[in-house]
Amino acid sequence: MSLQEKYQTLLELANQNGTSYELSEGDGVLHINGTAPSEEAKQQLWDEYNRIDPDYRAGDLMLNVSVGGAAAGGGGHTYTVESGDNLTKIGAKYGLTWQQVFDANKDIISDPDKIFPGQELKIPGA
Amino acid sequence: MKIKFLTVICLAVVAFITACGKSDADVQKAVAAKLAADNVSGVTVAVKDGVATLTGEVADITVKNKAEASAKGVEGVKSVVNNTTPKPVPTPVPPPADPMLKGKVEENLKKAGCTGATVAIANGVVTLSGTVPEAKFVECVKIVNESGAGKLNNQLQKGK
Repeated sequence: MSLQEKYQTLLELANQNGTSYELSEGDGVLHINGTAPSEEAKQQLWDEYNRIDPDYRAGDLMLNVSVGGAAAGGGGHTYTVESGDNLTKIGAKYGLTWQQVFDANKDIISDPDKIFPGQELKIPGA
Repeated sequence: MKIKFLTVICLAVVAFITACGKSDADVQKAVAAKLAADNVSGVTVAVKDGVATLTGEVADITVKNKAEASAKGVEGVKSVVNNTTPKPVPTPVPPPADPMLKGKVEENLKKAGCTGATVAIANGVVTLSGTVPEAKFVECVKIVNESGAGKLNNQLQKGK
């Protein structure tokens, strides 16, 4: 049985509840990337996923559905600064240098030695 | 007597034609029209003895299913042979480099309150283990699904 067959009810549901999606497949994993019209619609898809593959153990589907088009906010990843953090430490979490993190956040950081807990830093490339 | 006989013959002929229903060509047209009306594209239909055979490459399995359902509902179709195939899908976008992916997943798990979850990553495959509160379980799984990872090996357990 193909992965599309296995997850066909999930795809049918996406069509019904107004979720637009694109499929891709590689290394035995089906990827569904899409946009749902509401949180409720997204939750319906996750419920159906759980029905087909209880507790999501099979490892053959990546369901990446966001809500709304604009609500995604550009899709960039952010990191929230904690006390004791510095740019080198934060960069290391993502395989980046402190300079790369600094460059992406020059609008909010003027001095690379001064960052504050609670600041939301943009992580380039994530 | 002769008239009665002719009447019987006529009735038999009429009954025979009715039983046979529409011609295959008519049914073929009706199915094609129904598919177009249902926005099913990429499907070619052939009809022989009331059996509709669908062929062609469709966007995905939902279109394949829809084509079959549409054809079955058309008058004169006795059965449907669905030989349509979903078109091959592209390979996924490659996942971010492992350290980048790890940082992103760990930070998002932390933001979502998935304490107790541990992350290991090799070649874009995320292994999620540890125990998280049951109420958080789905949320934690979602984070990996939405991280751009290539695959999730989900060993996460539900706790209290």
